[in-house]
Amino acid sequence: MNERLAALAAAANTELEKAVSPESVEALRVKYLGKKGELAAILGGMGKLAPDERRALGEKANAVKAELETKISGAILRVQELALEVELKGPRLDVTLPGRGRGSGHRHPVSQTLEDICAVFARLGFVVEQGPEIELDWYNFEALNVPADHPARDMQDTFYVEGFALESPVVLRTHTSPVQIRTMLSQKPPVRAVMPGRVYRKDSDQTHTPMFHQVEGLLVDTKVTFAELKGTLDAFAKAFFGAKSKTRFRPSFFPFTEPSAEVDVSCVFCSGNGCRVCKQTGWLEVLGSGMVHPNVFRHAGYDPSQVTGFAFGMGVERLAMLRYGIDDLRTMFENDYRFVAQF
Amino acid sequence: MKLSLKWLADYVVLPGSVDELAQRLTMAGLEIEGVSRPGDGLRGVVVAQILASDKHPNADKLSVTKIDDGSGTPIQVVCGAKNYKVGDKVPLATVGTELPGGMKIGKAQMRGVDSEGMLCSAKELGLPEGEHGLLILDPSLKVGAPIAGALGLDDVIFEVNVTPNRSDALSHLGIAREVATLLGAALKRPDPKLTESATEASTKVQIRIEDPERCWRYVGRVVEGVIVKPSPKWMQERLKACGVRAINNLVDVTNYVMLEYGQPLHAFDLDRIGGAQIVVRTAKAGEKLKTLDDKDRPLHAEDLLICDEKSPLVLAGVMGGASSEVTDKTTRVLLECATFQPTTVRRSAKRHGLHTESSHRFERGTDVSVAPEVIDRAAALIAEVGGGTVLKGRVDAYPVKKEPRKVTLRIARVAELLGVEISADECAKVLTALGFKSLGQSSWEVPLARVDVSIEEDLIEEIARIRGFESIPAALPRGLSALAPERPWVTAERRLRAALSGAGFDEVVNYSFVAPAELAAFQAEQGAILVANPLSVEQSVMRTMLFASLVPNVARSARHQAQGVRFYELARSYRPHEGGGVKGKPVASEVLELSGALWGLRDGARSWTGASAVVDFYDARAAVDAVLESLHISGAKYEPLESPWYHPRAAATVKLGERVLGTVGELHPRAQKRLDAPGGVFLFQLDAMALLAEAKLVPQAVTLSRFPSVLRDLAIVVPNELPAEKVRLVILEVGQPLVDEVTVFDVYAGPQVGEGKKNLAFALRYRSPGRTLTDAEVADAHQKIVAEVGRRLGGALRS
Repeated sequence: MNERLAALAAAANTELEKAVSPESVEALRVKYLGKKGELAAILGGMGKLAPDERRALGEKANAVKAELETKISGAILRVQELALEVELKGPRLDVTLPGRGRGSGHRHPVSQTLEDICAVFARLGFVVEQGPEIELDWYNFEALNVPADHPARDMQDTFYVEGFALESPVVLRTHTSPVQIRTMLSQKPPVRAVMPGRVYRKDSDQTHTPMFHQVEGLLVDTKVTFAELKGTLDAFAKAFFGAKSKTRFRPSFFPFTEPSAEVDVSCVFCSGNGCRVCKQTGWLEVLGSGMVHPNVFRHAGYDPSQVTGFAFGMGVERLAMLRYGIDDLRTMFENDYRFVAQF
Repeated sequence: MKLSLKWLADYVVLPGSVDELAQRLTMAGLEIEGVSRPGDGLRGVVVAQILASDKHPNADKLSVTKIDDGSGTPIQVVCGAKNYKVGDKVPLATVGTELPGGMKIGKAQMRGVDSEGMLCSAKELGLPEGEHGLLILDPSLKVGAPIAGALGLDDVIFEVNVTPNRSDALSHLGIAREVATLLGAALKRPDPKLTESATEASTKVQIRIEDPERCWRYVGRVVEGVIVKPSPKWMQERLKACGVRAINNLVDVTNYVMLEYGQPLHAFDLDRIGGAQIVVRTAKAGEKLKTLDDKDRPLHAEDLLICDEKSPLVLAGVMGGASSEVTDKTTRVLLECATFQPTTVRRSAKRHGLHTESSHRFERGTDVSVAPEVIDRAAALIAEVGGGTVLKGRVDAYPVKKEPRKVTLRIARVAELLGVEISADECAKVLTALGFKSLGQSSWEVPLARVDVSIEEDLIEEIARIRGFESIPAALPRGLSALAPERPWVTAERRLRAALSGAGFDEVVNYSFVAPAELAAFQAEQGAILVANPLSVEQSVMRTMLFASLVPNVARSARHQAQGVRFYELARSYRPHEGGGVKGKPVASEVLELSGALWGLRDGARSWTGASAVVDFYDARAAVDAVLESLHISGAKYEPLESPWYHPRAAATVKLGERVLGTVGELHPRAQKRLDAPGGVFLFQLDAMALLAEAKLVPQAVTLSRFPSVLRDLAIVVPNELPAEKVRLVILEVGQPLVDEVTVFDVYAGPQVGEGKKNLAFALRYRSPGRTLTDAEVADAHQKIVAEVGRRLGGALRS
């Protein structure tokens, strides 16, 4: 029977080496090691043997079985590897076809810019506040030191709302500045706030739309200086336009600030060397600012002998146009599906 | 305002560099918005004299001329004009010149005759005026001289942006004062020299101011024996340089002096005034005035007028009247130099829709003290350019003398406001140069011309702007007293946008005002807030809903060949507020809305994956679900909705408990038709503040079961009208405590389940937090649940 075992082992080895598929390996396992397999058949005849021979043969048979099991495991790995090789060599996908689904949406450049502006000021400790767009004339003009019949009213052509008395007119706010007043009326100093939102002016041409966005800023405390106004806006310009940006403060006039300054930033297209966008000046006008006028403090219930402060305002569309290279303001509000998809 | 540098140089020595001057003025608050050199385009054009002119041998319409161009050798030029005679001086564009129109002059042959240059018309030189034909020049001009200088075009013109507070800078003298201060140079004022006749002006005219509140001062002078004619060349050139048309010597003098001093003047034909009495008063009921522009204007009770005893002559400070204006025949002139209350002039100008050089200055405020000097200057100029005799003295009605304001300046306050120390000496130097007078003890007298200066901050601004803002250091604000909080709405807005971006929506930003029809399509126009003075009807109503903009956005995209769009807008809608319009109450109710619109192919375009399905209600609902998920709002219910906005078969209210968060559905076919939108537009609309109120900005974690779950399916046939959600909730309830999740995974209606019925298939997840469930346990539980659900809903169970 020893010979039969040896022959079985040799035959199984030969067949296993030839096997190329997991199925054929499995068939060989059944053939040799299965319950009705050849090893079982040999062992079935062991009953006739003497105990000593039986033990010896048993040991031998177990050794053959263990050897075959190892071989079978090896053969399984080998044929799996073969199958994988075949699979790996199969036809390739066309990876140039686009992915499935419509992908992510896009932010409108104005709202993105607005959010980014506020985020810069948030880092400087400014709280984001808001106020109404349909506003009493008093908040929009009077409280900001622009009385009726003041020529400064010509600086902003105003939309009025129907149905209100002539003596207390209601307007679509012409700037975000009334939120300054509302913020001061509802909070004690110190105040550090930025106030983003929609504003309206009766003006429509290539460079004006009847609605646009502003971000207003206000900082009030004891002994706030013009130097801090400069530092704050210079820091903003560097954060928004890049660390190499420079700012220039030019005296100007706003009824609600004194002194007042226009703020120019070095041209983002030519780095201040002069180009078509900056009309060869090297500078772009981006902000209005100044020290809060004492009359504004009085209207807002603050004592101008106790506090000083600065305020500033910027047009978001202009900043967005500079930032994204948009050349026509009006495309901002046409909402062409191809426009927004760029951002 | 247009500023002529040649003119400015009369009063102050200018720096050599035009750019430097522009820079200094800009950085002192008088922004130079443009610099033009009208003579720049005329290089190569010279004064030439026509020595001879012969007919062209080969062309009837041309002449061959001999020209002296100043070189000493006459040249030959072919010319097509006829309006000259030999001996005339004309402009010659020499060979090599490029004319303002772009024409390049070269040596040429014209019909076989050599021509070395071109004789020019005014038009060819880019000059606005002039007849057809050659521009015939002043015979006194020197042959060979550059034409720019000869025509007075060798000037530099600044376009100055004068802010509304700086009426003092609306004149050449005013700006000269700034330049002198900035450069530390001396200011030379004009020194009018008058020769007066023995006759007193007051014998010819008297002034009566009936409304001293509106007319602060009225000064007059009389000039007799004037000859009206064109003003001299130098005056015309200066007026032209400043954009003012020359008319005749009288009118030109008034304009010239206005541009010089900033004080408007008016000239009357004294013979066309009824009587010797000038009355300054407001209009009487029913009065009318024909102004210089030939319009009959009914007057308002608050219009201030200059009148004779009978009738109005001038709308004060705004425009003169036709009846008393100077004409070619005028010989006796009354000059007016007055000061009016700015508000009065502004209101009259607005009321009559007029904005004149005069009203522009008066409404900003003029210098009441300068009138005597100004009127003397004007009278002297009239005598100079129009002949005539200036009568003795001025008539000067000045009822209430205006005292200059006194303002205190504390040096400590300068440093406190600017953040930089400036010495008292330096402050005094700047203010003195600007015309302020020190009264000692920190007190300063403000010149009456400076109507914009009334408080200490104004003085500090003067000092800062003359020194230059660049001399103030930059510093970040001193320390924060507390960390800046982020307002919850800011957080919510950011998350809402992120959620919709993730869901493939593009953000749009629309005007807040829409056309009435766009709201009417949704029956949402009732009670909407109207703009009283809209630019157009398309922008006349404050939108009460964002769909009024979003659906047109979709329609536009469809027209522009989009295949599928997803838009959203986060913005306010507006409605009147009860009792609004008084201080302390909101004027309107402004509600932050998040609205979206979907239309077309789900993937945005046709796709090779075969996923060319169009969006439907459930895509819109998925967007709403994504938004709710972004704020961790769970348990929202969708209930069927009747609304004029939505198709009745596909519309839902989104509720959390009893709170309405918004709506979602398919655009109503009628609204679709009215807005010319394509079919298959789906919409949603959410109240952002309601979402914020329900938001869990910081969700709380639930400990996960570590034991495996088992999935079992359940299918049930129910009537079509029974909402799947109802069935799902019954299964969840019956399944307690072992079933922790039930999801619907198939809905089928068709012949196999019978008319009016549908088959719903659910997946039930069995799970215990504390142990592994056995198969037998799950099987037993599932059997009971199936039986109980069937009992409660009466549906036919399929498994």
